[in-house]
Amino acid sequence: MIRIAVILFPGINCEDETLDSVRSAGMDGRVVRWNEKPELLKHFDGYVIPGGWSYEDRIRAGCISARDPIMIEIKKQAEKGKPVLGICNGAQVLVESGLVPDVKGGIEMALAPNINPFISGYYVTWIYLKLSSLKKTAFTIGLDKDTVFRIPIAHGEGRFKTADRGLLDELKKNDQIILRYCDENGEIVYDFPVNPNGSMFNTAAVCNKNGNVMAMMPHPERANWLRQVPGSDLTKGEQKGPARFIFESMKKYIEGRK
Amino acid sequence: MSKNEVSESEIVHISKMSDDELASFMKKNVISLKINEARSLPKKLGRDPTLTELHIFNIQWSEHSSYKSSKKILKQLPTTGKKVILGPKEDSGIVEFCTIDGEKYCIVVSHESHNHPSQVVPFEGAATGIGGDIRDVLCMGAHVIGVADPLRFGNPDGKNRNVVRYVANSVVEGIAGYGNPVGIPNLGGDVYFDESFDDNCLVNVVCIGMVKEKDILHSYAPEGAVGFDVIVVGKATDNSGFGGAAFASLILDEGEEQTNKGAVQVPDPFLKNVVIRATEKVFKELREKNIIAGFKDMGAGGIMCATSELGSSGGYGMDLDIDKIHVSMKNLPPYVIASGETQERFTWIVPPDFTPRLIQIYNEEFDLPNVAKGARASVIGKVTKEKQYRLTFKGKVVCNAPIDEVTEGVSYERECRAYENEFKEPALPEPNCKEILLKLLRQPHIASKERIFKHYDTEVQGNAVIRPGEADSGLIAPIRGKSFGIALATDCNPFISRVDPYWGAAHAVAESMRNVAAIGAIPVALTDCLNYGNPEKPEAFWEFVQGVKGVSDAARGIKEFETKEAVPVISGNVSFYNENKKGTSVSPSAIICCVGMMKDYSKAVTTAFKKEGSLVYLIGSRKDELGGSSYYRLFNEYGKDVPKLDFDKEARHIYSVIDIIDKNLALSCHDISDGGLAVALAEMAILGRTGVIIKADSKIRFDRFIFSETPGFIIEVEEKNKDAVEKILNEKRADFSTIGRTIADKFIIKNNDNDIINASIEEIEEPWRNGLVEALR
Repeated sequence: MIRIAVILFPGINCEDETLDSVRSAGMDGRVVRWNEKPELLKHFDGYVIPGGWSYEDRIRAGCISARDPIMIEIKKQAEKGKPVLGICNGAQVLVESGLVPDVKGGIEMALAPNINPFISGYYVTWIYLKLSSLKKTAFTIGLDKDTVFRIPIAHGEGRFKTADRGLLDELKKNDQIILRYCDENGEIVYDFPVNPNGSMFNTAAVCNKNGNVMAMMPHPERANWLRQVPGSDLTKGEQKGPARFIFESMKKYIEGRK
Repeated sequence: MSKNEVSESEIVHISKMSDDELASFMKKNVISLKINEARSLPKKLGRDPTLTELHIFNIQWSEHSSYKSSKKILKQLPTTGKKVILGPKEDSGIVEFCTIDGEKYCIVVSHESHNHPSQVVPFEGAATGIGGDIRDVLCMGAHVIGVADPLRFGNPDGKNRNVVRYVANSVVEGIAGYGNPVGIPNLGGDVYFDESFDDNCLVNVVCIGMVKEKDILHSYAPEGAVGFDVIVVGKATDNSGFGGAAFASLILDEGEEQTNKGAVQVPDPFLKNVVIRATEKVFKELREKNIIAGFKDMGAGGIMCATSELGSSGGYGMDLDIDKIHVSMKNLPPYVIASGETQERFTWIVPPDFTPRLIQIYNEEFDLPNVAKGARASVIGKVTKEKQYRLTFKGKVVCNAPIDEVTEGVSYERECRAYENEFKEPALPEPNCKEILLKLLRQPHIASKERIFKHYDTEVQGNAVIRPGEADSGLIAPIRGKSFGIALATDCNPFISRVDPYWGAAHAVAESMRNVAAIGAIPVALTDCLNYGNPEKPEAFWEFVQGVKGVSDAARGIKEFETKEAVPVISGNVSFYNENKKGTSVSPSAIICCVGMMKDYSKAVTTAFKKEGSLVYLIGSRKDELGGSSYYRLFNEYGKDVPKLDFDKEARHIYSVIDIIDKNLALSCHDISDGGLAVALAEMAILGRTGVIIKADSKIRFDRFIFSETPGFIIEVEEKNKDAVEKILNEKRADFSTIGRTIADKFIIKNNDNDIINASIEEIEEPWRNGLVEALR
């Protein structure tokens, strides 16, 4: 069976439901603590860094975890083409470690504090996302471009920003902006509340050039079962939620590599 | 050294002091024991006390720790029942939830207050309030699965508006700033604004967890524990929160603000997150190895309170070495180390052969010393057969008291004096009802709570089914892949309670039950947090006595329908000394949480109207009883005739709604409370973006009809289910009528054929969306 390592840095708090979501997509795995032997990671087929407050968001969210020795091994495995998904705080870790977007290398992006006219700081809400790229990635297999789905966000710093002006054009050119905030009809509206945090180009998820590492701010493990979606038909509550495809795609991608 | 002996240099010779000398000695040492309380110590100890012992009894005999004014009154509450696994004895109550594959799953609930700290240092006060409540639930061996926060703030537009808004915003930030990182979803709560809370906000916290019955841990040293190790786990002890329990039992005095601030603990949600994960690993290994251990949270009274209770309730003594406790400050006196309330700590009692593994899990696998400076697990002593509580410090014995005396506490008969308040029924002319409705919808306690809830992580753990704001209670499905659901609601209307503390408390019980019933859940347990004024004042104490009676009568009166049992009060807390600077008590607040259970969450319904053309039923006929209503409060009146409760009828209404929802006959449901029928209908229309037309024929004046807060429900029913619904309502002899239908996009209320209110959904939505946002700006 495919085995996924769900990485627990101190302060991460979504590891259990993330592992359950991985399992619901037909894979297995376990939670791996930050201070276990990094070599252990070789024996896993893919990696998920879940959400939370790793290292208390000291300096910047994700900054300390990105420099944790375990990330050296994750980078090595990513270079071999294994999939790495960073969710929320995990996305911040991937951006801080330079694994995403990996255009020229180094830290090229940041996740800046939300711009929100309603609530400053941490903000939880359900939004719509649209698959906005034709690129083949490990997380969007079998999905049509322009697919729209519902998913929640929960963060205070989720506004994708580039260090260089030219980088956004480069990302567009390389088709690395995978998911974007949109309204329920799939229209990209740049204002709040459709864009819940002021993210540039309504960006919600960015991948590396190879498409095997993705940093996404919304939480797929919180839209993994239908009952989690507000207003859904609860009689189908235990069925597949709108974001399960991300984990299912990971499975297909790993199977395709074997 | 023989039984009661302590080091001579430690003894304070109080029997040689005059009363004045004793008083001034205690004041200098920040000990608030009464003279007669201090004078009783030599008899208990067989000698004069040490300074450490004086501090210990000071904390143990504070109102907060000893319930000295309240415990006799609290005895009347129903605390037992077929489903009760543990009543209000230890840190949390436990009630049976469901059985899966022969294993019984239980819900653990704790309900605490952190009022005084939240007024003085709101962010930290609210955060540590959650922190303490989470520990109370975790220490029963449970997985913590939810929190809820009933909040009471002052008038945001009154003379103290700046402080009120600062306190309210900071409390919300504190709850979010702690609960979110630890990873506990917020399931709800309620919020009221009333000027009686201007100088003394109320910040209550409810926390729930889940545990299998066989895995429950207790707050006592287990059988055969002599020689077991006593281990302190968590943050390094400092002087923060020293005297916190005693502080909770004082009236806030601005002149002593600095001392008071020192009594508030410092939260560390990051460390707590890691300690919880390490502790769950310890639970797992204890279960695998079949080891029985004792485990207790460190809250009020710190290490001293936790270890003495662990020992005393198991029938043992304790021999502890204060020098072995990990500290982060030099030169702390022994009584500060022993009884300071540093956060994020626990005490374990385990057999010595498990100790090395326990230490390894905390100190190496979860690396506490590197996660937070000075944090770790440390062995500090042993459980003894001799029932003495013995503390040594730098080679000296600083406390050596009979352990049962340390935990026994004191009890007082407080004087209780009924009073007649000055409230009268106002003579209000018949108003423009539409204007009144729009004003009511803008009231911050009625308006949408999104401004608060969207700051809380309602989604973490992935169990969410119904979130705060979608229905009258939150709902989670805590067992992955199973249909069982837990609902939670908190209530207490301060306006009704101000007019009548008995009916206010009874309503809190009834409303919390209605709130869980409105989504389809069965009330299985209650918790109470009783927030009142100074118990030394006979009128304030009377309010408390009335409140407890109201809770007790309602819990016994609104019986579980099948078993005819009272819904048990399984956990609770008493918070006294809540008053303003002039010495007036806060509005009496028996804040109640009701835990509801659903076998099948997929049957749950929410508040929003679902479609056009449905029938709208009113359950509970409207009465002319508007005392304490939000309508009266618009005119700054209280009134006198508060709604009364017929407990038996209330039960029939609650259980007919549960039955209707269980048979999938309701599309939506909402309970009638603040703002009455008109506000309840407006909320259903706004949330469902569906209009409604109501045509009523009222015997009472129409404004009083639509704004009366007589308890009740509104349900939306499809035409085809009419007969089935009415059959259930008739069988349960409910008061009900069909009052209208849902329509496309208008909100219309007619008195016979006259439009009393005719508004668009947008018109009623605007004040409802913005009321709380404006109040917190």
